[in-house]
Amino acid sequence: MGRFVVRRLASTIVVLFAISVLTFLIFQAIPNGKPEDRLAGRTSTPETRAAVRKSWGFDKPIYDQYAITMRKVFTGDVISYTQQVNVEDEIRRDLPATLSLAIGAGIIWLLLGIAFGLFSAMRAGRFTDRALTVLSLIGVSTPVFLIGAVLLYVLAFKLSIFPNTGYVPLTKDPLDWLDHMILPWIALSVLFIGFYSRVLRSSILDTMNEDFVRTARAKGLSERRVLVRHVLRNSMIPIISLWGLDFAAVIGGAAILTESVFNLQGVGQYAAQSVQALDVPPVLVITMFGAFVVVLLSAAVDVIYALLDPRIRLSG
Amino acid sequence: MQKGFRGLGAVGVVLAVALGISACGGSSSSSSSGSPAQGRNGGEATVLMGTAPDFLDPGLAYTTQGAAADWITYTPLLTYRHAGGKQGGEIIPGLATALPSISKDGKTYTFQLRKGLTYSNGQPVKAGDLEYTIRRSIKVNWGGKSFFTNYIVGAAAVDSGKAQKISGITADDATGKITIKLIKAYGAFTNVIAFPAAGLVPTGTKFTNLSNSPPPGVGPYMITAVQPNRTFTMVKNPKWASFAIPDVPEGHLQKITITINSNTQAEAQQVLNNQADVFDPGDTLPPALLGQIRSTAQNRFAPVTIPSTFYFFMNTRLKPFNNVKVRQAVNYALDKRAMARLASGFLKPECNFLPEGIVGHPTSCPYGDPNGAPDINKAKQLVQQSGLAGTPITVWGEMRSPRKEYVDYYTDVLNKLGFKATPKIISDSTYFPTIGNEKTKAQTGFADWIQDFPNPSDFYLLLDGTAIQATNNQNFSYVNDPKIQTELAKLNPVPTSQLNSVASQWQKLDEYTTSQAYEAVYGSEQVPKFQSNRMNFAASTIHPLYLDDWLNLSLK
Amino acid sequence: MAIDPTASGNELSLELPGAIPRSGPSEEPPPAGIGPYRLALRRLRRNRAALAFGALFLVIALMCLAAPWYAKHVAHTGPNVNHITDTVKVGGKTENVVSIDGNPIGPTWQGKFFLGADANGRDIAVRLLYGGRNSLEIGLIATLITMILATVIGTLAGYLRGPVDGVLSRVLDLIWAYPVVLLAVALGTSLALGGIDLGLFQLKGNSLLVPALIIGVVYIPYAAKPIRGQVLSLREKEFIDAARAQGASALRIMTTEVLPNLASTLIVFVPLIIANAILLEAGLSYLGAGVQDPNPSWGTMISNGIPRISTALHLTLVPGIMLVLAVLGINVFGDGVRDALDPRAEVRIEH
Repeated sequence: MGRFVVRRLASTIVVLFAISVLTFLIFQAIPNGKPEDRLAGRTSTPETRAAVRKSWGFDKPIYDQYAITMRKVFTGDVISYTQQVNVEDEIRRDLPATLSLAIGAGIIWLLLGIAFGLFSAMRAGRFTDRALTVLSLIGVSTPVFLIGAVLLYVLAFKLSIFPNTGYVPLTKDPLDWLDHMILPWIALSVLFIGFYSRVLRSSILDTMNEDFVRTARAKGLSERRVLVRHVLRNSMIPIISLWGLDFAAVIGGAAILTESVFNLQGVGQYAAQSVQALDVPPVLVITMFGAFVVVLLSAAVDVIYALLDPRIRLSG
Repeated sequence: MQKGFRGLGAVGVVLAVALGISACGGSSSSSSSGSPAQGRNGGEATVLMGTAPDFLDPGLAYTTQGAAADWITYTPLLTYRHAGGKQGGEIIPGLATALPSISKDGKTYTFQLRKGLTYSNGQPVKAGDLEYTIRRSIKVNWGGKSFFTNYIVGAAAVDSGKAQKISGITADDATGKITIKLIKAYGAFTNVIAFPAAGLVPTGTKFTNLSNSPPPGVGPYMITAVQPNRTFTMVKNPKWASFAIPDVPEGHLQKITITINSNTQAEAQQVLNNQADVFDPGDTLPPALLGQIRSTAQNRFAPVTIPSTFYFFMNTRLKPFNNVKVRQAVNYALDKRAMARLASGFLKPECNFLPEGIVGHPTSCPYGDPNGAPDINKAKQLVQQSGLAGTPITVWGEMRSPRKEYVDYYTDVLNKLGFKATPKIISDSTYFPTIGNEKTKAQTGFADWIQDFPNPSDFYLLLDGTAIQATNNQNFSYVNDPKIQTELAKLNPVPTSQLNSVASQWQKLDEYTTSQAYEAVYGSEQVPKFQSNRMNFAASTIHPLYLDDWLNLSLK
Repeated sequence: MAIDPTASGNELSLELPGAIPRSGPSEEPPPAGIGPYRLALRRLRRNRAALAFGALFLVIALMCLAAPWYAKHVAHTGPNVNHITDTVKVGGKTENVVSIDGNPIGPTWQGKFFLGADANGRDIAVRLLYGGRNSLEIGLIATLITMILATVIGTLAGYLRGPVDGVLSRVLDLIWAYPVVLLAVALGTSLALGGIDLGLFQLKGNSLLVPALIIGVVYIPYAAKPIRGQVLSLREKEFIDAARAQGASALRIMTTEVLPNLASTLIVFVPLIIANAILLEAGLSYLGAGVQDPNPSWGTMISNGIPRISTALHLTLVPGIMLVLAVLGINVFGDGVRDALDPRAEVRIEH
């Protein structure tokens, strides 16, 4: 176990390092994407640009720039190009919106995904099962921003049931917060519900045929008891681990599209805006942050997975 | 994401013209011109902004959104009149007692600071603070700092780190006398001193971006409660009224909350439903709501034309635009009515480079009525005569709407004329550096100019042959015409106050430019003035330079 | 270092539970006289829903292929031709294609502007078909890129193990841990500006290959990791041992012994990745990093339509419905294929 943790940690560091280098290089490669041209303004003179280059350290060799930036990432001193504000402060400010989205939607998609999957499996082959399958397939086939835009059009614009985009902090007005979060939660959940219910359904059907379930049935346990005590417990393992990873991804800024459509001003939207403005420092910090959360939670999920499932041994 | 922050370069915008009323068919009251008027004092209002200010720090702000907050918080020695239309472009004394006295050679400006001024934190204002303020703007790399470094003696040396202080600015704290020495005469220097970046901050203010907690200033309002990209609040500066500066009154509203939301549709909806009070004129009204706004909110909505030039540049160094016939053909073929529809009606068709409201604006158009149908046949004929039909053309454009749509349309027009045109749309943030780079060899594409101050020379910077440079070039058409150069040499040094005496010369020059078809101009931008029914719509104004003028907002 | 294919730090065995077929079709004892693939085909043929949706996808694809014909003979206009100030007769009345306010006409249900126009007065139906060609093309090319690279990487890593596996697995981890959409947007934005210039290999910024390449790369780990896992277990099989004992080279074993046994996994992945590639293209286009002008695609059409959704709903709905139908078609069909080949495997991709 200890060796496993050490190994995972080592590979995590390698991956994070590579991600930071890659992000840095992607933006270096852009023609005319030199930050000094933008920082110095549209009518700037060559002298101004030279001064900007010097004061921001763009005249240094690229590996130096990388090293300086990375040092700042760890000391929390990264400053963005466009608004020249502390990037980590910005992320901290954006995090509540992203967390609200991730936690709310995460709970919805987990519960509904399980409910639909369970229902589908119990009615396998019958009409309800087919209907749910079709619904979940439509769910995984629709882009989240299309769902979001249509929801906003119908429920916010036409019927005025919900507010038209934006985020209100929970601490400011809990009811208003809820009002603003419901549509984003639904939009983001649809895809995951569709997917989770399908995973759970096939996982349950698989487990039903396993020996230990047959044994349990043979022992005369009620079908319901078999389903809950034996089948569901086993089938939930992949669902929970999936949930951990998806949840991590959303916190790490993967819900870019949802946040943009609903203008939640979360981490993902900040990332999208920074990419469009070719503002490297925030993009760098957010990708590292996102990757870190994902890698960390996937390691945690591995450990939990191993603890839950006796068939798996962690080899080091 | 692609909402309107005005050109990276120009503190967006400028001079005035009371077009608001004529443009909307006289449906609204005579609001946008004239005096600040009779608003009720007190109360609070919410202003919605679609694009966050680039900076709230006066030393760094360069977009209209930033300037909107800063110009009523950090008053410079000179400032603009708080009025809409032409009057808004007038330079008036701010913290100075009067307009400066200018030496005969136009190189020395002398100001007298008002007495008894204090910053919002109670610290007394000293004459020496001006040098510090300008030095700070230079050192924190304000986007327009070349206006300082190019003209003030010793400013460039501070920029490059060779000097500690700007030698060209001297001040006497005891008497309040300030003298600024220029490298060369510059007619528009009073406009430079009126930039919010020259709005005084106390000596000792840090040389870092203070946008999150803006430094104390001398102005009718103070910026508080800043949450970047989300909100900030303007509250009245209690000390201001006692300074009794005649043309910079105290505001009406006690408190103005600015909320930033990039979803302009949601914003417009809120104003329409009276949940918020002011729609930011720097934003584009969503076409989806226009019809509803025009029909149900006509007494609190008006489009206001701002002096600006929207045009397609045509690189005179490259095929096919090195041929004047091709350039003229483009001017004949553009259907400006179509472009106005792409802008949801927020474009006033024009064909000359100097827009209406700028001294020297020509009144006629050699390529037919800008509001009429284009002459495609004439255009095709010209292309045929040029023998350049079939030339491949890359048309450059920005991502944001409706600029992308303009370029898509223009590409189609070029194809109709027989060229092989394809659009190339790139991200807004790299657009101008890219087309301004000589190596890009951009043939043609979108360009705009919303000027820094009310002076035709600011527009002609874009056609000045000596301004051509390898990177960050603004003369996208690479115009280097001896006739234009001789005229500019004569006209550029004329001080802003004497512009009217050379109006006819500017007009002749612009008519010549149009006849040579150096650019394909299609119009001036219009901005929306749109408020809730709580607001005194008639008393509020759209300022020609900064668009927002929160000093003139008041409740009914 | 013993590697247990079902766990051992392989994030994807978790990400794709059961994606590694625990019992591939090659191992199932087929009914006498019937090969595994024929059996699968027979199963698929019985799955009416899968076939119907497969046909739906095919019909959409064929319609899109007929775009030039439609443009020329029905709509009488091209995908990029503007008709801003034109008028069109609808039910005897003359109407502006684009109103003075800039609102485009909705569906006319006749030859010209059958599905309405966009803000530039372009015929939506024509653009829908041309856009579909681009969306589908990107989906197919991206899938090709993913499958080829994933197969190569997965097979090499799984068969050679050791340092090769270490390096390749870290590369996969890298792509996998990088926030997918963010990576694609970052790449899309930068490549759209400059294109790719690697001497012999040049790509213009507005080439369709740029988004296809990005999407293709992004999905590699999702396919490569299960492939690697399967190869890891295959290489311990007796027939591989036998080939090795006969002195066959590693390359030969990989191509002639391992690869054919991967076929069913690969087939399962293809429709899934096509569907997700089309969705990711739409997402990228929404963020401005997908298909570049002048090429239309369903994604760019939707994202151009959303700001005008309240007055010109057709701008969003028409391409939106088309995209959902196409993706749904291939998803259901892909589901059927998977069930037919291996009823127990479950594969997923996030978008």
